[in-house]
Amino acid sequence: MSVKYIPVQWNRNKWLYDAVMLAGVGLFLYIFLNLTPEILDHERAINPQVHNARAFGACAFTMMTVILCIGPLARLDDRFLPLLYNRRHFGVMTVFVALTHAAYIVDWYFAFSRSNKYEALLFSNTSYGQLVGFPFEVFGIFALLVLIILATTSHDFWMKFLSPPVWKRVHYLIYPAYLSVVAHVSFGILQDQQNHAFTVLFVGGAVSVGLLHLMAALKERQRDRDLAVDGADWFDVADASEFEDGFAKVRLLPNGERVAVYLMDGKLSAISNACAHQNGPLGEGRVISCLVTCPWHGFQYDVRNGQSPAPFTEKVPTYNLRMRGTTVQVDPQANPPGTPVDPVSLGMKEAT
Amino acid sequence: MSNRNSPFFVGYLPLPAGLRQWLLVVCVLFIGGLAGVGLTMGVAQDDPGPGAFRFDYGRQTVTGVIELTPYPLVRVTEGNDRIMPGTTLMLSGQGKSSVDQRAVPLEGQLSQVSGVVLQRGTLNMLQLRGGANGLSAVEGVAPEQSTEPLGRWRLAGEICDGKCLAGAMRPGTGLAHKACANLCLIGGVPPVFVSSQPVDGSEFLLITGPDGSALPKSLYDHVGAYITIEGDVERRGDVLVFRADPESVGVPG
Repeated sequence: MSVKYIPVQWNRNKWLYDAVMLAGVGLFLYIFLNLTPEILDHERAINPQVHNARAFGACAFTMMTVILCIGPLARLDDRFLPLLYNRRHFGVMTVFVALTHAAYIVDWYFAFSRSNKYEALLFSNTSYGQLVGFPFEVFGIFALLVLIILATTSHDFWMKFLSPPVWKRVHYLIYPAYLSVVAHVSFGILQDQQNHAFTVLFVGGAVSVGLLHLMAALKERQRDRDLAVDGADWFDVADASEFEDGFAKVRLLPNGERVAVYLMDGKLSAISNACAHQNGPLGEGRVISCLVTCPWHGFQYDVRNGQSPAPFTEKVPTYNLRMRGTTVQVDPQANPPGTPVDPVSLGMKEAT
Repeated sequence: MSNRNSPFFVGYLPLPAGLRQWLLVVCVLFIGGLAGVGLTMGVAQDDPGPGAFRFDYGRQTVTGVIELTPYPLVRVTEGNDRIMPGTTLMLSGQGKSSVDQRAVPLEGQLSQVSGVVLQRGTLNMLQLRGGANGLSAVEGVAPEQSTEPLGRWRLAGEICDGKCLAGAMRPGTGLAHKACANLCLIGGVPPVFVSSQPVDGSEFLLITGPDGSALPKSLYDHVGAYITIEGDVERRGDVLVFRADPESVGVPG
């Protein structure tokens, strides 16, 4: 959580995350750049500039693939949630790797002519009307621009400035960017491959991203079916006996909103399931120090009023609860974010 | 609802004991996986072919007759240990540029050329030094040079720029290289057709338009792609010139 904007709020886990990420990326690049030229048994070596461009391009694709696998993996198994925590650093690192790839390409293939190399990048192949020989460079340019935008706006300042819904929509551009990278590779280097080991890894990576997202979506759909509520004005959440102290029951309301009903110290309170930070699932969090804690980035809220503790300013909507016999019911009309609501005692018959 | 028994990770709090072993395994798999992928992708790169700048030969200076196809050639009449008389060299300038401005005034004349050789199999190109140091007329009468028509051919293969193909870039062929090849061709570098089957002993043919013109712009769309194309072939020394008909482009069956 942050109350003022500094470049990075470092903590031990972020240091460890970045160290592991850098170790993996560094090893990938070291092996590709320095060891594979010794192993390749070519009569004449691949130009170092091309070799370097391929190393950084392959690394950027692999990094994007891993990044896009983290989200669905965390939805399928919450033990992967720690990988989500500092994913934005992974994304920013990917931009630098992708930029290095682009720099090697532009400074090699598009240099040495009388034209400006950036103009040459755009005009040297204009075969847009055909699949074979399509100017695959445009896919790479689009993906790179998107990655730069996402990295530039990755800081929480931009989330606050743009508002979380807009920020989230902007950052969904990672999907068209990834598809664009897949097209960039498919219409480019993949067309010339004789050794298909790269093809297998490339297709395997892209298919993994697609399959994991499909599996996570199916699981979410099943979960939504299980979370759907019945009722007229008020909707049943669960029987009082089903609640555990410090944990929530999540329900999907007819208006599409999810509500997280927490039991804390024998009393029930309800807040929106969507964290004000990045829409993390608050109902899958825990109560730590009397505060609901988001499982994604640890943002915290007082479950009784939906407000982050001072000096933090994040707020989420609250909901009214009541008891009908032993059944807990929720009013689907959300209160404005940060509205205090008296908790409902499990022993009370009714409360609003 | 989260599972009461599962460890709960909060980024700014110490790592829960129940996650440590799991995350250690994930970290090892991540680092090892990236290393493995880097190695596999790195060693899966195809052989770029034997073309190269022959800097090891040193600067080469020979004398011969300048011909325009319209791309300039020199038919060597006085060679050296490396470049024998009878050799035909394609000519290019520095980088992605031609030497047309210098070569056109010298067409049919005995000239001295000097530069660095690029070589790939039977394909020889000379990247000329700048100005008159690279190309200049010399005294003497230019010997008559023969041109031998080899008839009409339908060839399957790929249009490349002759310089990258000859070794200026490795790899210097294929669709991933298409934009670079186009930029070379726009700059006037001689285009070469790489035939899937040798033609009169050579798989590399200097390709031009059908009437002795430069490569038609319509063929730029087919650079780097595997195509079939028809045209007349003629031999000029040890270089074959393929005067291709752009209307005849097809897809190999």
